[in-house]
Amino acid sequence: MSSTEVYQLNFGPITAHAFNKDRTQVAICPNNNEVQIYTKAGKSWNLIHTLAEHDKLVTSIDWAPESNRLVTSSQDRNTYVWNLESDEWKPTLVLLRINRAATFVRWSPNEDKFAVASGARVIAICYFDEEHNWWTSKHLKKPIRSTVLSLDWHPNNSLLASGSADFKACVISAFIKGVDKRPPPTAWGEKFPFNTVLGEFSNGGGGWIHSVAFSPSGEALAFSGHDSEVSIAYPGGAVKSIRLTGLPYLSLLWTSEKKIIAAGYDCAPVLFEETNEEWKLSRIIDVGKKKVVGESTAFNRFRDWDTKGISSRGGSEDSELNTIHQNTITSIRHYAGTRENVTHISTSGLDGKLVVWDLENLENQFRNLKV
Amino acid sequence: MSNTLRPYLAAVRSTLTAALCLENFSSQVVERHNKPEVEARSSSEVVMNPLIISRNENEKVMIEPSVNSIRISIKIKQADEIETILCKKFTRFMMLRAENFIILRRKPIDGYNISFLITNFHTEQMYKHKLVDFIIQFMEEVDKEISEMKLSLNARARIVAESYLSQFD
Amino acid sequence: MSFRSIDVDALDEDILHQDELFVFSNGIEIDPETALNDVKTKEVDVRNFLTRGETTTALIKAIENPPYGLHTSEAKDRNTQIVMDVLNSTKATVDLTKSLSTEQQDILMKYIYRGMASPDLYNSAVLLNWHEKLTEAAGVGCIVRVITDRKTV
Repeated sequence: MSSTEVYQLNFGPITAHAFNKDRTQVAICPNNNEVQIYTKAGKSWNLIHTLAEHDKLVTSIDWAPESNRLVTSSQDRNTYVWNLESDEWKPTLVLLRINRAATFVRWSPNEDKFAVASGARVIAICYFDEEHNWWTSKHLKKPIRSTVLSLDWHPNNSLLASGSADFKACVISAFIKGVDKRPPPTAWGEKFPFNTVLGEFSNGGGGWIHSVAFSPSGEALAFSGHDSEVSIAYPGGAVKSIRLTGLPYLSLLWTSEKKIIAAGYDCAPVLFEETNEEWKLSRIIDVGKKKVVGESTAFNRFRDWDTKGISSRGGSEDSELNTIHQNTITSIRHYAGTRENVTHISTSGLDGKLVVWDLENLENQFRNLKV
Repeated sequence: MSNTLRPYLAAVRSTLTAALCLENFSSQVVERHNKPEVEARSSSEVVMNPLIISRNENEKVMIEPSVNSIRISIKIKQADEIETILCKKFTRFMMLRAENFIILRRKPIDGYNISFLITNFHTEQMYKHKLVDFIIQFMEEVDKEISEMKLSLNARARIVAESYLSQFD
Repeated sequence: MSFRSIDVDALDEDILHQDELFVFSNGIEIDPETALNDVKTKEVDVRNFLTRGETTTALIKAIENPPYGLHTSEAKDRNTQIVMDVLNSTKATVDLTKSLSTEQQDILMKYIYRGMASPDLYNSAVLLNWHEKLTEAAGVGCIVRVITDRKTV
């Protein structure tokens, strides 16, 4: 049984991907203004729908599992909600009132709201206005000073985490009167009217925040910055930072209360684990192919070493990387398992590959390797 | 010489690897535009600290990173006037044909001889490590190219001088 | 026609300035005078360690508490000079760079780049050697942080 499934859906980058509830269909953006929906047929994926309503690059896609609605955001400043009506996806425009690119979009856990990050230094919280029959929005403005790059919803449907290019990760209230029921108090705060800032964190290294993620319980927030640091912040302001030796991570996903998977410019997902209150990078998930180094003669090695300044990488004549993804991984999504115990994840990146990873199987492989 | 060339290229290689972490970033200032921030310089938070790697006073590389583009400027070694002229002609020749080199910039930055501009669209289409290899290879070859040109120029000058002087025999 | 030459975008009140970015990356502004005095006291300590041959301690002392700030260029120059003196009199080894903490590695990397930026003042060959050894120990992540951090040395 294989531990990874690799699909080449596009030859350029995949800027975003999202699966439907039973994982039989996937929506991707092939680095242009279109959204493509593929359906699974045995071992391959067939293109069934192309949604072309945006007129600039689609930046993010999210698929609401229960209500089966798609939401897409684009650099053309718009967001559409898509409904499937008699086998056709119909777009509904959302009244966003932003004048810069929409960079990121996510449904709330209850699927009654979604949040849109934007380059206009605001986050738009959108909800359905029954009276006027359209999606309308309220803006979160206060602590944000630059483009918002990522968002994540707290499981209680009211709190939102944001990561932005002003080096800050924030926890903000996105509670909307009339839409939300009053949530019970959380560790982040007891009462929180709209746009209350409940936490503001920074890596201190001056890197914009590429990704934010709440832990399954919502009691901790992980964020990764462009300064190659991953931090875990707790209510009350405690932050645990890990400075990394590799390149920055673009996406984070908690697979349990004590495990985080991160991936980014290094092209391979890695696992962070907490043991004894201490977070550290435990291993690289992509075991990689055993590459036959073969004809790398001593002469070639010394020549590379001397003229190109390559010291460790063997076989530089080869253009292929040792990892499954051949270029930056831009997004990690939950694929199977509960939120507290994720068993499968999916990743996509600039190389146009969509990869499904079986974490348990990989874990077993890793254990065998150790023995 | 070679013993200082290796650490120099190694430093350029690792710095480029660190700096070439680019993403698609839509302008915060101009609506619906996507500009290389290192050139536009409209938002200071997405333009990062420039780094300079030098081998000696006459040979250095400046790397200016930003969120969606990096600019690499190279100062090529010029030991004498002939090399200065050759270097100028050579880089000019290339820059006039910049579109064929894809990542070449049409004008060098002040104080440098030749500049490259790599954007996120290049890293999407090409392997990152190959782009790094290309810059490194370029840096090696350009030295070689110029010293070769200098040799052939001198050889030619000698032939011209000989044939000119032979008529006074 | 002078209104045409006004940079309108710079008047945008939402725009971030260098001093704000400095604060956002946890930088704390210090008085240039105090910074310079601190560096001078540090210089004495470092010289003492160097004469006693304790190069590792001298290095750690030299990169400790760098005079960050936007107006402390004099203190910065002086501190760079101290670090360069230590680096010139110490042999770069991977063991030494590995023994530093990640914070120290990051600061040392900042100084190496600072030194390389003025090849007329400092010996590039020595710095390149240090750069190589430090990259081997601390990885490219260390260089990424030099690029991103607004707390420059």
